[in-house]
Amino acid sequence: MRIKFMLDGSEVEADVKHTDTLFRVLKDRLGVRSVHFGCGEGSCGACIVLVDGGPRYSCLTLAASVDGKRVTTVSGLREDGELTGIQRAFIEHNAAQCGYCTPAMIIVAKALLDQNKSPTEEEIYEALAGNLCRCTGYIPIVEAIKSVAARR
Amino acid sequence: MAVPDSGGFYRPKRLSEAVQLKRRLGERAMVVAGGTLAVQLLNKNLVEPEAIISLEDLPLSYVRADGGRVEIGATTTIASLLRHREVPAALAEAARGIHGLVLRETATVGGNLLAPAPSGDLATALMALDAEVLLRGSRGARAVPLPKFYRGALRYDMRRDELIYAVRIRRAPRHSAFQKLTIYRYSGPTLASVAVGLEESGGRVRKAAVAVGGLMTHPYRASASERVLVRQGLSKETVESAAQRLTEGVELGGQGLYSGSYLSRLAAVLFARAMEKVMSEAGR
Repeated sequence: MRIKFMLDGSEVEADVKHTDTLFRVLKDRLGVRSVHFGCGEGSCGACIVLVDGGPRYSCLTLAASVDGKRVTTVSGLREDGELTGIQRAFIEHNAAQCGYCTPAMIIVAKALLDQNKSPTEEEIYEALAGNLCRCTGYIPIVEAIKSVAARR
Repeated sequence: MAVPDSGGFYRPKRLSEAVQLKRRLGERAMVVAGGTLAVQLLNKNLVEPEAIISLEDLPLSYVRADGGRVEIGATTTIASLLRHREVPAALAEAARGIHGLVLRETATVGGNLLAPAPSGDLATALMALDAEVLLRGSRGARAVPLPKFYRGALRYDMRRDELIYAVRIRRAPRHSAFQKLTIYRYSGPTLASVAVGLEESGGRVRKAAVAVGGLMTHPYRASASERVLVRQGLSKETVESAAQRLTEGVELGGQGLYSGSYLSRLAAVLFARAMEKVMSEAGR
């Protein structure tokens, strides 16, 4: 079936099977680089994107489900062509080492701060429970998010 | 009613439509709610469904509470459940044990009911709250109490054309609690879970429900333990006595890495913690 959806502000189309995941369509068909494969089972979070503003594991979302919806990856988060506060905070706090988990971490950070302007440290860890990072030990990521929350 | 063909992907807008689809397609279709369990099967090449029935557009995301009566729609997400204040303690505690913003916003109550151990925490809590699964099929609706719903490993009292549309607690007990142990603090499979629901007055236990999860594929009611509490009341000694009978009548095979005797001991510890909480709440 043919699906049409908004991807980072542009309309895209794809021919998909009913069993195709959003992840596969984004990665293989549409060349999106900011979704990464880590598990295929919702344990690592590296595939997370926003669908109509809500964070979703793209590897557990069926592509056909996003027909008519708005998909946002980390590339679609720019404000007037500039990096967002969350992205700048990640850079300032060295919250990315290999970068594999980073796009999804940023998406979840945005989703969290959209729901809760000043999360506690506990709430940040709780929100990021589905995002694995093998490099940073999480502390710089949490500090980056705390710094954005403190500024709001 | 003719069902439009959409490349094998269906997004029914009404429950009756979804039931008709399930009836027509039977095992050729995979039903998907949040997708956090079902779509894994696709990623791992474990299933090859000819069709997908997505429940995302059905009006089944709701929590209706009235007095002690609570009804929760099958596609209610964990996050949505946690945003409602009238959810009984054991169920709220079980939902809080499902971690991660994204998982909470995606996983559904209905899906969790069909998840076997080492997932499926909500069923332990719901069983201690005497909940019923509400099913709708082409022959109408019916309610099945949870202990009857689970027939064995991944076997449910569900007809071919039926869908779970809600779960209902007729009368939430005054006191309830849920405890579990997972490998990691914020994630990981559940080793064991225990939930208790208690109605008591003046130290006398009028009703006790004790559910144990993780030791079998689906949770079960520890009726021997319940009898101890009802007959002997609430005290440190009766709790210990009840704890010793949690696995009575249950054939324990263990769970891959964990022996049956370890899980048994663990369940007793979790039970004691849950009882401590309800007892202090009841002022005993």
